[in-house]
Amino acid sequence: MFISVDGHKFTVSSAAWRTYRYFAHEMMLMQLYFNGAGMYRSKLYFFLIFLFLLQPVLAQQHFTISGYVRDAKTGEDIIGANVTIKELPGKGASTNTYGYYSITLPSGHYQLSTQYIGYSPQIQQIDLTQSQKVDFQLVEQVKELSEVVVSSQRKNENITKLEMGVQKLDTKDLKNIPVLFGEKDVLKTIQLLPGIKSAGEGSSGFNVRGGATDQNLILLDEATVYNASHLMGFFSVFNSDAIKDISVYKGNEPAEYGGRLSSVLDIKMNDGNDKKFGVSGGIGLISSRLTVEGPIVKDKGSFIISARRTYADLFLKLSQDTTLNNASLYFYDFNAKANYRIDNKTRIFLSGYFGKDVLKLNNNFGINWGNSTATMRLNHLFSDRLFSNTSLIFSNYNYKINIDNTIEMNIISRIQDFCLKQDFQLFSGTNSTLKFGINSAVHNIIPGIITASSSVDLKSLSNKHAWENALYITHQYSFSNKFSVEYGARLSSFSLLGPGKFYTYDLDGNTIDTATYKRNEYIKTYVYIEPRATFNYILNPQSSVKAAYARNVQNLHLLSNTTSANPTDLWIPSSNNVKPEIADQVSLGYYHNFLENKYEFFSEIYFKSLQNQIDYKNGAELNFNENVESQLLYGKGRAYGLEMFLKKKYGKLNGWISYTLSRTERKFEQINNGNYYPARQDRTHDVSIVGIYDLNKRWTLSATWVYNTGNAVTYPTGKYQIDGKTMFYYSNRNANRMPAYHRLDLGATWIVKKTKEFESSWTFSIYNAYSHENAYMITFRNNELDPTRTEAVQTTLFKLIPSFSYNFKF
Amino acid sequence: MKRTRIIYIVIVSVVCLLASCEKVIDLKLDTSSSAIVIQGNVFDHPGPYAVKISKTVDFTDANTFPPVTDAKVSISDNVGNSELLTQSEAGTYLTSKLRGVPGRTYTLKVEIQGKTYTGSSTMPAAVGIDTVYFRKNIFDEGNQTVLEFRDPIDVDNYYRVLEFVNDTLRPGFYIGNDKLYQGQEIVFTISSTSINSNDPLKTGAKIRLQLECIDKNVFEYFRTSRGNNGQAASPANPVSNLSEGVLGYFNACSVREASITVP
Repeated sequence: MFISVDGHKFTVSSAAWRTYRYFAHEMMLMQLYFNGAGMYRSKLYFFLIFLFLLQPVLAQQHFTISGYVRDAKTGEDIIGANVTIKELPGKGASTNTYGYYSITLPSGHYQLSTQYIGYSPQIQQIDLTQSQKVDFQLVEQVKELSEVVVSSQRKNENITKLEMGVQKLDTKDLKNIPVLFGEKDVLKTIQLLPGIKSAGEGSSGFNVRGGATDQNLILLDEATVYNASHLMGFFSVFNSDAIKDISVYKGNEPAEYGGRLSSVLDIKMNDGNDKKFGVSGGIGLISSRLTVEGPIVKDKGSFIISARRTYADLFLKLSQDTTLNNASLYFYDFNAKANYRIDNKTRIFLSGYFGKDVLKLNNNFGINWGNSTATMRLNHLFSDRLFSNTSLIFSNYNYKINIDNTIEMNIISRIQDFCLKQDFQLFSGTNSTLKFGINSAVHNIIPGIITASSSVDLKSLSNKHAWENALYITHQYSFSNKFSVEYGARLSSFSLLGPGKFYTYDLDGNTIDTATYKRNEYIKTYVYIEPRATFNYILNPQSSVKAAYARNVQNLHLLSNTTSANPTDLWIPSSNNVKPEIADQVSLGYYHNFLENKYEFFSEIYFKSLQNQIDYKNGAELNFNENVESQLLYGKGRAYGLEMFLKKKYGKLNGWISYTLSRTERKFEQINNGNYYPARQDRTHDVSIVGIYDLNKRWTLSATWVYNTGNAVTYPTGKYQIDGKTMFYYSNRNANRMPAYHRLDLGATWIVKKTKEFESSWTFSIYNAYSHENAYMITFRNNELDPTRTEAVQTTLFKLIPSFSYNFKF
Repeated sequence: MKRTRIIYIVIVSVVCLLASCEKVIDLKLDTSSSAIVIQGNVFDHPGPYAVKISKTVDFTDANTFPPVTDAKVSISDNVGNSELLTQSEAGTYLTSKLRGVPGRTYTLKVEIQGKTYTGSSTMPAAVGIDTVYFRKNIFDEGNQTVLEFRDPIDVDNYYRVLEFVNDTLRPGFYIGNDKLYQGQEIVFTISSTSINSNDPLKTGAKIRLQLECIDKNVFEYFRTSRGNNGQAASPANPVSNLSEGVLGYFNACSVREASITVP
């Protein structure tokens, strides 16, 4: 609403305009009564009143400041950088996944400051009289050796940031924490955070807040990774050299994520240095890696290629044993990514991942499995307030087991996804952001088929097809400097499609119906609404309280009844027999920073209720069974716990302590008489202590100590004999506990040379430094020396394992 | 025919490579009240056939399993024959007249202290052994015994092989089915030496192999007893063809034998 007074244009608020019109109308009525006399004077009075009303509304003209925050040296977008305004404390913005931010402010003069951990803050003075683009190029901070870090630089975004139950991992922490075989491993490092537990020694599967290992959505640049581990779970598929950002949501993820109950692990890869060509890599005891990156067109586009391969089998060749020296045991990973700025509004990204594990013995037995993903993404700025991203994603996970022991047998399983995602972010005002979009994915699953010949056309094998869609909307809104909320919902649907023969089973597993469906005919559809909400109340700049609720629905289920994550596990879709799994989680947290943000602390409690959980009939035949759904049991579960976390962020010594107290239980009519019993992954106490010490400019030392009480297991309560073989008698499931597990890892990094052109370093690590014999598996047998007795035998996987690697970068 | 077992062996051997170890530990295990164990057979060769009944003991006890001597045991078939078994040794009940015939369904009935337990099994037709020989072990030093026999087409067959070394039954359940091999010549390998075995077959040892054709329920019993030693994630009692609350099986099967001497 504009009016013109003396040639100046003023914006009038609709409220003021309505008020004016009301008075004008009243005046007119009065004029009719007091005909003549006071007419001009009343017009003057009411004009003064009008000007008075206009005053506070004079400054309402708004403009948008937007732009990208990037690393000055490499051009990489910085995700989650904070852009704050000196004049408006408490207001600001955070860069999105592509480094883009947008703030709408009234016209005026502002000092914008941008900061991100590990970089020096940058300030720009803005005269805001029109919408403008303000980009930031952040410079990496020189390592601070003294304890005194300027207080103003210390951030408290853990207090102010809205997200709850999300933890971001600093890639620098990754570099310094020692893990198995000296391989930097994202999945092992997140298990040092509260609420996230390893699924077993050497396994990279994990359990978040009592959820099963298939309840974690693992995304690599938006593509789903189905099996994130190599070599039976000993290593993860992520090459840490190429990772830019790691975020873990423990069940309270915003509505743009969905499909798994317990967590989202969102990993973003580096885009590549768009200014300078560079090579980095390392040669280690077990594996070697190489990364090459550089500009396609300087400052406009870049690429990055990363590869990694292990050579554990070279050590096997040294063995005297003929079986071992004919064996092959290796894995490799390959990541490639390219991006290009078509114009200053549009940017295109192409990325791919390809990884494979091979295990072969003597040509008689071989197993290979692998993931591959390919993604094309298009960013477009429709306006400085509307950011859009369109993604086309392909993801494939398959395994093949070949047994050639006179008779040849092959077992093949595959899950393949084609997905389209459209996401919008609307930055509407200083205190409001709207995110909305759609996801659509087609899943093709070959659920473990046995064939006689090794070369078979995968298309000819019976596939299960499913179509999954979701529509979401999230609104982030700050009511005041103290109270903000993020709420939204995800509408998801899942349909199982033909062609094929589909059986319906009763609760005992008997077939009660058989139906044949044509191609793309709908067999079963499930539609759910998943509401999500997070509240953040800032008590003072040092502390805040957060509360959250989320509902998650999962339609792809991993069937496995072995001890650890095993590539022969089976993914099945929801169907006419298998209902979608549902989780409802509430959590409440208290966040507090000490000593001027030097220490970060939080404590969270959560309660999760699970529906339609899957377990297996006694003696279920899961592998290679076309009627696998007849072997399943359905029940419910609940998980609750307390998580505590204390982190020292600055200084020569930094690190964190995390503690989780938790319980996760299941209830199935057919198991343990229908009573609640602890799930296998239930562990009462979990402690992680991480310390990183910058000895001097060249040496960094680190240590990690983990302790947890044992998982729930089933031990025998008696024994008997069948045909001369000692058999063990079992009563209740999961009524016992494994022994407690604890381990100390030590690491040291020695920077040999660090110049602008070349960097090299050595990393040393000792896994399980005091060689504690942790139980991997406990089995029972007759005593080897005295067969009239039985004994329990503990198998330990790893004792003390030293390792080293040489790393370079130029 | 033990694909999952092969995978398991491979995993464990890979794992053992990497500086792992085993040690005997002292575990405090819960105890439970004794359960009854029934093992009964009916063969297609002349009897007597035996039904052995015993009880479970606690884990820390010695491996002597108390026999159940006060049971009333009877076996009947589906053509009207029925016989009450008599106890010979403590806990072992024998038939005298009953003769097993392929195709018939046999029912076992055991009465102990007022409770009755039953189970039934249908005897499949016999399958003869074609050859028996030795072969080098794939995963370890030493040899494996191999049987070859032809699977009858058009029938779902389930097999169990028992290995007697110098007339002593070697403990171990070797089973297979014809799911992938309908009508073909089946090559059945017995892992006589396991990865950590310490008594390989010696030259001159007499090996006698018995090929049992068993019914589906008995096959399921042996299949679900895998991982019973704690290797399975959720170990449980095998699925038995006997009534609820009782351990063991009742097996009506046809048997063929072949022998070989270790060269």
